[in-house]
Amino acid sequence: MRQPGLRARITAGFAAGALCLAMIMAVLSYQITRHSLLREREDTAVRAASYDAAIVRAGIRTTQPDIAEILSSIDTGENRRVVLHYNGRWYGRTADPGITSAVPVDLQQRAGEGHTAIQRIRLAGEPTLVVAVPVADTTTYYEVDSLQELDRTLQLVSLILTLVAIGTALIGAALGWYAGRYVMRPVARVTQAARDIAAGQVQARLDPATEPDLAQLTRSFNDMVDQLAARLEKDRRFAADVSHELRSPLQTLAAAASVLTRGKERLDTRTATAAGLVADEVERFQALVEDLLSLSRGERPAERGAVDVRELAGQVCRARELSEEVISVEGPRVWLIDRRRVEQLLVNLLDNADAYGGGPIAVRFAIQGCDGVIEVDDDGPGVSPDDRVVIFDRFVRGRAAHARANSYGTGLGLALVAQHATAHGGTTTVLDRPGGGARFRVTLTGCLP
Amino acid sequence: MLVIEDDDRIRTSLVLALEEEGYAVRAAATGEEGLIAQRREPADTVLVDLMLPGIDGFECIRQLRRSDDVPIVVISAREDTHDIVAALEAGADDYLVKPVKVKELSARLRALRRRARALTTEAVRSLRFGELEVRPEAGEVRLSGNPVAVTRTEFQLLCELAEHPGQVLSRTQLLQRVWQYDGGDERLVDVHVGRLRHKIESDSSTPRHLVTVRGLGYKLQP
Repeated sequence: MRQPGLRARITAGFAAGALCLAMIMAVLSYQITRHSLLREREDTAVRAASYDAAIVRAGIRTTQPDIAEILSSIDTGENRRVVLHYNGRWYGRTADPGITSAVPVDLQQRAGEGHTAIQRIRLAGEPTLVVAVPVADTTTYYEVDSLQELDRTLQLVSLILTLVAIGTALIGAALGWYAGRYVMRPVARVTQAARDIAAGQVQARLDPATEPDLAQLTRSFNDMVDQLAARLEKDRRFAADVSHELRSPLQTLAAAASVLTRGKERLDTRTATAAGLVADEVERFQALVEDLLSLSRGERPAERGAVDVRELAGQVCRARELSEEVISVEGPRVWLIDRRRVEQLLVNLLDNADAYGGGPIAVRFAIQGCDGVIEVDDDGPGVSPDDRVVIFDRFVRGRAAHARANSYGTGLGLALVAQHATAHGGTTTVLDRPGGGARFRVTLTGCLP
Repeated sequence: MLVIEDDDRIRTSLVLALEEEGYAVRAAATGEEGLIAQRREPADTVLVDLMLPGIDGFECIRQLRRSDDVPIVVISAREDTHDIVAALEAGADDYLVKPVKVKELSARLRALRRRARALTTEAVRSLRFGELEVRPEAGEVRLSGNPVAVTRTEFQLLCELAEHPGQVLSRTQLLQRVWQYDGGDERLVDVHVGRLRHKIESDSSTPRHLVTVRGLGYKLQP
């Protein structure tokens, strides 16, 4: 599984922290609110019941008390209902047996002991408060008080608190996101600098003054880039020197060899053979130096431009006196590629097919998504699975039957193909062609704008 | 032909090889010598190295160009884009990286000489593109009636484009037709187009006549 990014983790951490805190606060607030509201409600209920009980007490002192009359004289409002236990009988204002049976036994007992008592129960699913006030020895006055309104209030409070908790978590996440950006900013700068350097801008440096906390990192980074730049420059100069020092004598050799070749008829057979060998080897040496210099240059990124691949392939084929009928292009003809690299890549693949595969029989260009795919088919013996791994390494030559392969190949052609593909962010593979022979496939990324 | 090359061995071998190919060759070891030799007895083609003692190849090309439209071929061990473009902008007609095969060099020289000879035929046509006038047979380019000095290669390039008015010619086609390259360095075309624009456009950064068609090539329009 992919590790989430630092920023995502910071955001999640902030959100989780905020949610935790908010939840604790919400639960505590809820409990405190609930407790105090209930206490207040109970106090009110007891006070009201005591007051009402006093009325009842006065009412039943008469000789023939009309219980119903007494009870109906009590103003209880909508929420309260009254029950009177008088001389072993239950009286209520409404004919509601459910209310009398709702009075809990232990409450009756406590009231029986002469104490004002209170108990919360659920009556028909509703939270209810029952207050018991002893009126006389055998008489207890009960008030059944619905707590639904309070319950609704508490529900509303809990809803609000939940919303507040969620809101707090979201604010926490936003803070985390912002803090993440703030924390990541220097990292983003380092990333950008590293990217610039990778793209070849070795003069990119970080300013240690802008991020005092990261001064150590900034200094190390700049040191590293300094060293890298120095090494690159040294390498570049070395390659340029080598290039120059090799090219100059080779020029003399090439010109002198051409004089020898031209004057061959004037030489005796032995000398002419030797002159021929010198000329051939000079040519091969020249090819080797070109390939080596190309390889040493190849680490640089590709210089892409719009290139008509059909035209490029046609020109490569014409130069090699190869029929252009082998070329086929699927999809757009104009690709965004480094012309010189892809040209050399094509030339080397065709050379390879010539030397080891009995000549190229198909050169295909196709676009898959944004990637360009180049395939070169040959009619040779194919490439054995063992060789497929190493064939793109430097100085690897195929064990082909063709004798001329041994004399002219530099052993660098396919290594260059692989390098040019890599410079385009691509890959190189060798497959079996259906029907025999090898199929070299090169994928170049980002060939369409 | 004049060969300006400081390395004794390269100079000697080039002279020998080119003489084998049938050219009459003179040689100079420094830019100053080369310039004097060219002034005294103009050669029809100049082959010049870039790294020379005294005045370097770039300066040498500039000075040759000042007085002459002789075809100039650079032959150098330097292969950086920067050097190639600078040499072409100084006025070189072609750029070859050492080591050059003599056969290849000979082919390039033939192409340049063909361009040089093409100017001598008679019969005069006039191709007009607004205030720009190209006379392929007379070897003349005029801007609002005033003659414009162009080198032979620039002229050849302009003629190719003028012969196909409004039609896009790809860099490959232009390399083929002007330099006789089957595949070659496209920077040759780009730099020559740039040089031409400086001469025929009122504002070379926003060309009106010699326009770039992105991804395809160049065309000449009124």
